[in-house]
Amino acid sequence: MEPNDGDDEEEFGFSRNYFLAKELRGSGKKSARKLSDIDLVDEQELRAAASKIPTKHEKEIISLLTSYKSLYPKWVFELRCGFGLLLYGFGSKKALLEDFASTELIDCGVIVINGYLQSINIKNVVITLAGILWDQLKTKRITSMGSMSKIQQPSSSQSMEDLLAFLDGSHSKENDCFVCVVVHNIDGPGLRDSESQQYLARLASCSHVRLVASIDHVNAALLWDKKMVHTQFNWCWYHVPTFAPYKVEGVFFPFILACSGTAQNAKTAAIVLQSLTPNAQSVFKVLAEHQLAHSDEEGKHCMPISNLYTSCRERFLVSSQVTLNSHLTEFKDHELVKTRRHADGQDCLYIPLTSEALVKLLEEIG
Amino acid sequence: MGSATADSPPPSPIADNGENDLQPFFVLHKALPRKGSRKASGSGKTRRKLDSPIASPKSKDKPEEAKQAREDDYEALRFEAFDMVWLKIETTIEDVLRNININVFAVIHQWVCESFSSIRSAGMPGVLHSYPPLTNITCKQIFTGLVFTKNVEFVDDLLTFKELGMRLKSNGCHVVTLSSLDFTAKNGIGGCLRSLLRQLIMVTPDSADISILASWYSEPENNENPVIVIIDDMERCNGHVLSEFIMMLSEWVIKIPIILIMGVATTIDAPRKLLTSNALQYLSPCKFTLGSPAERMDAIMEAVLVELCTGFNLSYSVSVFLRNYFLRQDGTVTSFIRALKIACAKHFSMEPLSFLCEGFLSEDSQSFWIEKCEMMPEAMLKCAFDLPSCEHRDKFACMTAENLASGLSTMKKFRKDWSSVVLCLYEAGKFHKIKLFDIFCEALDPNHQLGAAEDLGRSSSAGHFPHCDEYSGLRKERFIHQAVRRIKSLTVAQLSQLLQIWRKHTEEISEIHGRVEELQSMLDLESDIKSLKQDGTGSPNKLTSRSHLTMEKDKMTVNEKALKLMECMVKDYLKPIECMPFHEIVCFKHVDILQSALIGDPRKMIQVDLLKPHNHLHCSCCSKSGDALVPSMNDTSIIYTLAQEHGDLINLHDWFQSFKAIVTQPSTKKGKRKLQMSPASKKRKDTNEPEAISEASVQARFCKAVTELQITGLLRMPSKRRPDFVQRVAFGL
Repeated sequence: MEPNDGDDEEEFGFSRNYFLAKELRGSGKKSARKLSDIDLVDEQELRAAASKIPTKHEKEIISLLTSYKSLYPKWVFELRCGFGLLLYGFGSKKALLEDFASTELIDCGVIVINGYLQSINIKNVVITLAGILWDQLKTKRITSMGSMSKIQQPSSSQSMEDLLAFLDGSHSKENDCFVCVVVHNIDGPGLRDSESQQYLARLASCSHVRLVASIDHVNAALLWDKKMVHTQFNWCWYHVPTFAPYKVEGVFFPFILACSGTAQNAKTAAIVLQSLTPNAQSVFKVLAEHQLAHSDEEGKHCMPISNLYTSCRERFLVSSQVTLNSHLTEFKDHELVKTRRHADGQDCLYIPLTSEALVKLLEEIG
Repeated sequence: MGSATADSPPPSPIADNGENDLQPFFVLHKALPRKGSRKASGSGKTRRKLDSPIASPKSKDKPEEAKQAREDDYEALRFEAFDMVWLKIETTIEDVLRNININVFAVIHQWVCESFSSIRSAGMPGVLHSYPPLTNITCKQIFTGLVFTKNVEFVDDLLTFKELGMRLKSNGCHVVTLSSLDFTAKNGIGGCLRSLLRQLIMVTPDSADISILASWYSEPENNENPVIVIIDDMERCNGHVLSEFIMMLSEWVIKIPIILIMGVATTIDAPRKLLTSNALQYLSPCKFTLGSPAERMDAIMEAVLVELCTGFNLSYSVSVFLRNYFLRQDGTVTSFIRALKIACAKHFSMEPLSFLCEGFLSEDSQSFWIEKCEMMPEAMLKCAFDLPSCEHRDKFACMTAENLASGLSTMKKFRKDWSSVVLCLYEAGKFHKIKLFDIFCEALDPNHQLGAAEDLGRSSSAGHFPHCDEYSGLRKERFIHQAVRRIKSLTVAQLSQLLQIWRKHTEEISEIHGRVEELQSMLDLESDIKSLKQDGTGSPNKLTSRSHLTMEKDKMTVNEKALKLMECMVKDYLKPIECMPFHEIVCFKHVDILQSALIGDPRKMIQVDLLKPHNHLHCSCCSKSGDALVPSMNDTSIIYTLAQEHGDLINLHDWFQSFKAIVTQPSTKKGKRKLQMSPASKKRKDTNEPEAISEASVQARFCKAVTELQITGLLRMPSKRRPDFVQRVAFGL
């Protein structure tokens, strides 16, 4: 048996597909239709509808999850052997992991990290974990009449190195005393940086820690080098598609049919503008009105700074170029206004919004 | 799935899940205070059983309970057996690796001592005579050992450097091990200095200051020995930080005699490429070289898979897979060891009788097995005799514990003979650079066995000098055959060396052992005659040439006899484990399971999940339609299947419209068919359907599906430049 025989063929098919796809793009069939051609509903309505989407195949999903229960004893066995579990496959594995941990890992402490969130402080995790292990060791020592006096109780004042050293305690005969870390989406946005992954890897290699993690990204394995894979995480892979909807995991992703909509941009711009002084708002209005008035004329919709200054001075909005500049800096920082070099060499200002959005915005700041 | 969490026991009631979902992390539960007795006593098992949701706590069925407890017992036994077997394998590997490096470690230690004394002779540390600071570059030299690993994969050498560190430490040196992670631009020089101080002085100072180290070193108990800084992967360090570190050390080298040891994976000019010339001039390098991964692999193979008889064996297919994995995919010994461990764990978790493997390690295997087999419940014993390898064997018709035990004992004996023969073959093949892995795999091939016997039989029957090429042309891949055949072309010295080793390896097979000794004495006799002839220098030329001729002929006969002997060993003793009854108990065969646990393939599998969801869901609604898209399919599956029809850019508008067309598909035809299955519920739905799917809901579903694809990483989202397009990431599986 030669498991690699098919590889060349596969690779060939792979590259062929890639070039075919590229070709399709260049062949002029590219559709020029715009997203705005769709009659997009309001974002709030969209969110409301999204929360009411019924789950398809609910029954089948439940029976799929139940069928994975037969793997639980194997998972426990492998965890005890010192492996980490890495679950992948399409569908949210959150419920599966938590069910496994709360039914099978009852005699060790379990911490859950929600890797799909935006920011996770690994040190806090490690502190809590060390605390749990300390309790666990304490109860164990009491029953086996040992003393814990030598080891200091972990606290937040200790450095990461000390905490990890504590979790990596003696390797002898204590291998069934461990704490388990369940990581939902170890490839998630909050953990994707290399520092977090290094800490997770070091955590995984600690003798008192076992890791059970899930990945959803097809390229998740690229987060790790060989040292991490072979000597630290020590993964045992399991393909367990659940087809369960990514409910919480997807909560922070913007809706594709809403994020680029005009409503969104106008709204954020309005929020920024409302926090500025009335004078600044009026300066912005001058610029916006100019842009709307000249929106049909190609290249003329942007306004030279000198013109803006004159207009604003006339209306007693600014008294000097310096005041105007301070307003403009504020606008630029919030990306309300951008500059462009005009054909005659002058710097011109424009608002990076469509006319419709601009009208809406002006209405809003009223 | 909520239901599943609900019927689990509430050790610490899981707080409202919705709340926990948005916490960066939370404690699911703490360990139960009753812990610790799970393995040791029976009560622990019943507790576990009661807690387990799989077996319903309500069942009062006593036999059931007892059975479960017994199964748990055996699981504990299997785990114990795994522990013992793997410990044995692991320590053997460690020993092998240590022995491989023992010489180079000794040389390094010698060099360390010499370097230290030369630093000492340059100036006494601790004494303040280094002020004004030395300006002469030669006084600031840092002795640097460049250890060439001959291996781009530094992961294999982590252990080597750890061992080196331990060895130097045991000789009294102060050893610090730093890695590339300590030399990052982000942490700068402070990072590595802090790490150094931490390891040496056991405190983490607030400010990283090398003078702390200097004052530590000047203490009388510390200043008798050099400080060794080992950096195992120099090439991965940040060059500027490392240069700065070196420059700083060079300022202090008289006060703190630091010696650097750096692992280099590439070539001698690696430091030149990485470091600034300023730093480079302070290094006084010395070169050391480690063994290559192939050498290490052979040594590990020999010790662990051939010589060591732990009761855990690999089947032919698994060993071929591992060979390919090592040669073509990963190439690191570490990954091979990991794969071996996974195979081992899988074997002990899957094979119910695998706890019997422990008997191979026991001094008195026979009685161990008899005891265990007699205690086994009837059903388990029956399991053993139901194994496929026992299918056609009448002599095991009587299913007794003794039979099983004796079957295992026979297997152990055969396994030992097998390893002796493989080792002999390997020694013979060494002269022609045949790899142990190749011989090993071939020797395990259950189908090869027949063929090999035939081949060898043919070669002997074809006369004493069968045409060599005939065979090499016929069966080029047969490594064993090559190894045997080439014994004939060995020189006297080689043959005598080979016989010497054979003698050692065949100690346990008395018949063969005797014949090896016989051959040895024949060879000795020959060389005696030879030396005798050479002594009689005065004898006439004619005689010498004639005797030379006879000697050549004699030599041929000894070679030939050795060849015959080897053939005989292969024929009689090289019995692949898979040809033996009960081998399933000790032999891991599931190559597919090993492969999927070792190398997950998320890129392919997640796409397959999406494109063929009913493979897993087994739903009645979608599978009938074949490959056609139906509204009942998962939205994400629908849009991903649709995406396959686009080039690398997908127009969002078109994509949405085709999605909409599918999900709002007039399902009258389908509805009718469904109607027959569950009339009541479907009918209502059917009539409502056109109105039920509002535009908002279609858009929301599309958005959700796109988000899910985004989570899987199969899409690149619209950019500012291309707001109406998403980009495909994967093409084909």
